[in-house]
Amino acid sequence: MKSHNRGFWLSALGFGLWGFACLAPGIIGAQSREPRAGSTQPVSDSLAFFRALDFEGAGRHREAAPLFRQALRTEQRVSALLGLERVYAELQWTDSLLAPLAQLIREFPGEPVFRAAQLRSLQALDRQDDVAAAFERWVREAPRDPSPYREYARLLLQRGQAVRADSVLLRARRELGAGGELHLETAQARAATGQWEESARAWRLALVSAPYLEQAAAYALAPAPVPVRDAIRAQFFAPPLLVAARRAVATLESTWGSPANGWLALKDLPPDSAGAAAWLDFAQRAEAEERWTHAREAFGAVLRYQHSPEVALRAAVAALNSGDPGGALAIAPLTGGGADSARVARTLLPVHVRALAALGRPSSAERLVTSYERFLTPTGRAALARSIAFGWVRVGDMGRARGALSVAGPDADSSDAAGWLALYAGDVASARKLLRGGADASPELALALALVARLKVDSAPALGAAFLTLARGDTASAATALAGTAERFPEVASLALYTAGQWRARRGDHLNAIPLWKRVVEQYAMSAEAPAANLEWSRALTRGGDRTGAASRLEHMILTYPQSALVPQARRELELLRNTMPTP
Amino acid sequence: MTRALVLLVAAVALVSRAGAQQLLVPMDDAQTNHLKAYGLTFSALKAGMKAEWLLNYRGGSFLLPDTPELRRLAGLAGISVEGADGTRVGAIRAEIAAGNMDAVPLEKAPKIAVYGPPDTLPWDDAVTLALKYAGIEYTAIYDDEVHRGDLSKYDWLHLHHEDFTGQQNKFHLGYRDAPWFVEVVQKNTAAARRLGYPHIPALKKNIAEQIRQFVERGGFLFAMCGATETLELAMAGLNVDIAGAFADGTPVDENADAKMDWKRAMAVQGARLEQSPFVNSMSDIDGHQVNVPGRRQPLGAFTLFNFSAKFDPVAAMLVQNHRSVLSDFYGVTTSFNKAALKPSVTVLAFEEGAPWVKYVRGDHGKGSWTYYGGHDPEDPQHAIGSPPTDLSLHKGSPGYRLILNNVLFPAAKKKPLKT
Repeated sequence: MKSHNRGFWLSALGFGLWGFACLAPGIIGAQSREPRAGSTQPVSDSLAFFRALDFEGAGRHREAAPLFRQALRTEQRVSALLGLERVYAELQWTDSLLAPLAQLIREFPGEPVFRAAQLRSLQALDRQDDVAAAFERWVREAPRDPSPYREYARLLLQRGQAVRADSVLLRARRELGAGGELHLETAQARAATGQWEESARAWRLALVSAPYLEQAAAYALAPAPVPVRDAIRAQFFAPPLLVAARRAVATLESTWGSPANGWLALKDLPPDSAGAAAWLDFAQRAEAEERWTHAREAFGAVLRYQHSPEVALRAAVAALNSGDPGGALAIAPLTGGGADSARVARTLLPVHVRALAALGRPSSAERLVTSYERFLTPTGRAALARSIAFGWVRVGDMGRARGALSVAGPDADSSDAAGWLALYAGDVASARKLLRGGADASPELALALALVARLKVDSAPALGAAFLTLARGDTASAATALAGTAERFPEVASLALYTAGQWRARRGDHLNAIPLWKRVVEQYAMSAEAPAANLEWSRALTRGGDRTGAASRLEHMILTYPQSALVPQARRELELLRNTMPTP
Repeated sequence: MTRALVLLVAAVALVSRAGAQQLLVPMDDAQTNHLKAYGLTFSALKAGMKAEWLLNYRGGSFLLPDTPELRRLAGLAGISVEGADGTRVGAIRAEIAAGNMDAVPLEKAPKIAVYGPPDTLPWDDAVTLALKYAGIEYTAIYDDEVHRGDLSKYDWLHLHHEDFTGQQNKFHLGYRDAPWFVEVVQKNTAAARRLGYPHIPALKKNIAEQIRQFVERGGFLFAMCGATETLELAMAGLNVDIAGAFADGTPVDENADAKMDWKRAMAVQGARLEQSPFVNSMSDIDGHQVNVPGRRQPLGAFTLFNFSAKFDPVAAMLVQNHRSVLSDFYGVTTSFNKAALKPSVTVLAFEEGAPWVKYVRGDHGKGSWTYYGGHDPEDPQHAIGSPPTDLSLHKGSPGYRLILNNVLFPAAKKKPLKT
């Protein structure tokens, strides 16, 4: 009870102080705080503003303040007032701004900057009733001007009073008709009150005159719940086509976890500079997120509008990474690199070598490397050798793969690439040694390391053959081969079966993946892979529509492996299956 | 011979009782999922088992029979349970007997009804969110069901968002053009006409009256958020025009305050109506007035009273928790001004030094009611359109525990007071 009384008295004291500041003549009050004229050299009115800016820039706010005040008498009064607002805010003297503002408003009633500054200052001083009164005065004196509504609504939004802001904007619509120029504020107010579709409609209108607000629109609409997202999309897709609106929806789609839909929002933009800029931004984001198919399509769209060697190279890399080596060669031909062979060797050559290797044409890749030999550094040469070696692996010539690495020197011959070749050949001992040095943090390398570490033998040709099949791009046969090694190598049987199941599932072959996971769960129930196999099995059943089977699998997993690190994830998936919690 | 048989039966019963394994569901910080623990207890009752609520013992723990099925459910939900043999149970009982603790038998799973529009998602309401998450069954009912007398089928009724004054929480101020709001008004108007009322306020006041009678006849009522305040207003204002012209076509009776019959209300007396249609508040019952910018009070923290488990078991049940000070959270009605509460009301939680309280209860006729201010204990500033709370991230939520205390409370066997 005591603390409550103390709070009351403190606020009463605070009120008294503010009251005093309001009653005192503003100019006198302000001048008493500022340095006397003697502390700085007298400055002419015309120079006062620029000298004030200098002081402000140097952080000498006390010295800037009187000069800004002096400049209020000049033609630069608007800029000077804004400067004065800034430095007073720094000095926490905002109350002293009210008197000069009142005088300026009397002299220049049609200047919206002064009125807006008055609202801001009163707001900063938390004098809400005075803010409302100043707004009403402004409306009375400029009845056809949307500025008072805009400024007041913005202030209300800043204070989190979205409903009141919306009421102000509705009033503006009534008084001014057709919403005037208040789309941005309307959009923000509607989003803050959860009126998502209405907000999207207002954003769309705002973007017509202010396309730079596209990111703001996406940010404001990002929290919209799933059921209303289609309505938002409809607003942004509505004709006529508006590039900024499409860009906003592309960003939104990305935020909502469906970047593929983001590309759909942009792909049919007209091929002009605005469209190309949108495609380029999208492509760069996709590239950074390793969404290679989208990156390739978006870079391709940019190229169709305007060719550039740099964009062509990035499009080719995206094509290569998305599994289209032929496309990569076509997008960025070597002739596109111009006459500078050193530059071609640095930029286009690695892409072409990788593409040729992926296409199963390692001989062509070797010839190409030879023709640029004198422009290559030893490190660059070793990297190309690794690509060529994988090309030979792909066509099944392990001897030439090893030869490609040894020709490139010791760097290439002791790399993780050499480790992979050893594994393909079933040389577990060498693979164990060489793969450990791999810098690549890929799941494939982690899997290979786990397998060779657990194997009790130094030679396992069958296992190597499975990985070799995978490297050649035949996932289904690789999965069969890997599962086939389970009997022969009991120490890695559970991992081999679990991984074979994952390889099959990666191709969408859940039907044949489930028996593999089932074997792990039933035959190797105590293995580290058993809980994970259970979880994957359940997910496959869910995808197939068998929610009951999936739930019982999860129950089995939770009860059988209560200590597994995967149990929290399994519980969550069980909750979602039982619909006892909202879908994320 | 007969005497020997009796002795044998008694001995067998004693031995089997002493050896019976029970399952202690701790509700202190050792518990890993407090909310699901209520669901486990509910499941046990639903299956016809007996349970005990150990008031004030380790955060209000539960003692259940040790069955494979309950262990399975606990394992699946990640609920901490401890096997307790006869010796341990005996030690627990001795500890309970020696302190401010008691063991309350729980006998029957209550039949639960949640009053809300049929198309409402469970995630719109903290109670249905908690019930769903904990796995406690409930039936959704609305005006048609209440109107045809279905309340008598249930032991426990929950109200959340409803504005029983029929003014749609005055949301017309901010949402009059919002499609969801237009749809709500249309549906309620259609329901009023279908059930023979001229407008929504008349329908809702009738529903409020039926809810009052439900409690009077022995029902348990639990209300949160705006339903608490508006139910009180609707009951006291049954014969007064308390709805604005935007809701029923006529302005509020200018002498409405004087005409309110507070004897009809359960918790409140002498409150003043907010008669302005432009002020988003119903009355001065709510201490926080979240939707009235000039009046809005900041959130603080509220403290649960510590009741005597042996002498005041009902209140003690309702405040069982592993925390005694909880963060406050806004709702259309966030709190209850002390000045507006009847002297018979029991305050269960209060804010230190504030003129309002958070959580109150009382008896009415043969039944009882509990009001808990605020909307969502884990979303202090929940706004319309906010994403639903994911309770798997708040498995030990003390605020949600208060809701679930209310759900189990009707399962308790009434014991004669020891006074």
